[in-house]
Amino acid sequence: MTDFDLDRLGDVWRQQPDPAELARLQRTAIAVARRARLSAIVDICAAIAVGAVVIFLVVTNPKIQTVAMGTAAILVLLGSNIRLRKLRQVELKGLTGTTEEMLDQSIARVETTVRHHRFTLLVGPTAFLLSWVFAAVAIPRRDLVLGSLGDLVWFRPALFGIAVTAVAALVLYLIVNIRRGRRELARLKAMRDSYRQERESLTP
Amino acid sequence: MSARRDAGFILYLPAEASGKRVDVQQSASAPAPPGGDGKNGVVPPFERIVADYGPLISRIAMSYEADPTLREDLTQQIFLAVWQALPSFRADSSLKTFIARVAQNRSISFVTKQVRQPRLAELPEKLEADTLNPEEEAIEMNEREMLLAATRRLPLPQREVIILVLEGFSYAEIAEMLQIAPNALALRLSRAKAALKTMLEQGA
Repeated sequence: MTDFDLDRLGDVWRQQPDPAELARLQRTAIAVARRARLSAIVDICAAIAVGAVVIFLVVTNPKIQTVAMGTAAILVLLGSNIRLRKLRQVELKGLTGTTEEMLDQSIARVETTVRHHRFTLLVGPTAFLLSWVFAAVAIPRRDLVLGSLGDLVWFRPALFGIAVTAVAALVLYLIVNIRRGRRELARLKAMRDSYRQERESLTP
Repeated sequence: MSARRDAGFILYLPAEASGKRVDVQQSASAPAPPGGDGKNGVVPPFERIVADYGPLISRIAMSYEADPTLREDLTQQIFLAVWQALPSFRADSSLKTFIARVAQNRSISFVTKQVRQPRLAELPEKLEADTLNPEEEAIEMNEREMLLAATRRLPLPQREVIILVLEGFSYAEIAEMLQIAPNALALRLSRAKAALKTMLEQGA
C-alpha cells in the first residue's frame, strides 16, 4: 500500500460488515439498552420499597426515635440519589465534551479515588487497632456479642485472627488499587500532555 | 425514550449499506439516514440508531482495541454510553457527529484503563464481498488490516483526526467536534497523514 489517497483509504475503512455481524451488533446493543432500562427500574423500585418500609415503621411505631431514624434514612436515600445524579451528569459531560475535557475529568476522578484509598489505608487499620484495644480493655468477656463463646480459650485469638486477616485483605486491596490508580493517572496525564503539546505546537 | 425502544429486536437495513463513498468535503450535504439524523430535534429509536451507526461504532471500537474480547466489552460500553447520552442530544450538530464523539471519548477512556499497550493482532471481522473475487477480497482485507494496525499506532490526537476523516466527516464537522481551529486541524491532519503514510509504507 504505497499510494496514499485518503479518499480511497476511506472507502477501504468504511467497508460494511456482513449482515450477520450487523445483526450481532444489533443484538448486543439491544441487550445493553435492556439491561440499562432494567437497572433504572430496579433503582426506582428499590427507592420506593425502602421509602415504603420506613414510612410503615414510622406509622406502626410512632416514637420519637423511630421518626428520627426514619427521617435520617429518607435523607440518606435522597442524598445518595442526588449524588448519583450529579455523578451521572459529570460522566455525561465527559462523554459529550472534547477529549481534553474528558481527560481532565478522568484525571480528577482517579485522583479522588486514590486520595480516598490513601485515607482509608491510614484510617482503617488504625481504627481497627483502637477498637480492638478498646474492646480488650473496656468490655468484659461475658459481655461480648456471642455471650458464653467469650469464655472459650480459642475464641478471642480466632476472632482476632479473622479480624487481622480481614484488615490485611483490605490493606492489600487498597494498595493494589492505589498502584493501579497511579498507573492510570500516569497514562491519563501523558495523554493530556500529548494533546496539550499538539495544541501548543499548532498555535502560531 | 420512545415506546419503540421497548419493542424488542428489529433488524433494520443499515443506512451505510449501499457502500457508497461519502466525500469528505460533501458530507454535510449527504442525505440523512432513513431514521433521521436528529437535526429536526427528533431522536430516532435506539434500534434505528444502532442500525444506522452500529458499523461506525464498531469501526471506532476496532481502531482503539485490537483484542476481540476487550473490543466486545468496549463496544458494549459505547452502546451504553450512547444510550445514556441520547437524552442530552441537542440538534446543534448531526446525530452522527454526536455518536462519533461519544464513541471516541468512551474508547479513549477505555484504553487508559488498560495496563498493556493495544495489541496489533488479528482482525476477524468479515467483509462484504458480493462484488469482489477472492483475490480482490484478500487484497482489500489486507489493506484494511494494515490500515487499522497503522491507525492504532498513531498518537491519540492524530488518531482521533484520522479516524474522523476516514469516517467521512467534513473538516468543519471535525473542527467543531474537537473544538479546534480549522488551520490547527489542517496541521494536525497533515502530521497524521505523514505518520500514517510512513507506517503503511513500512507495512504497519
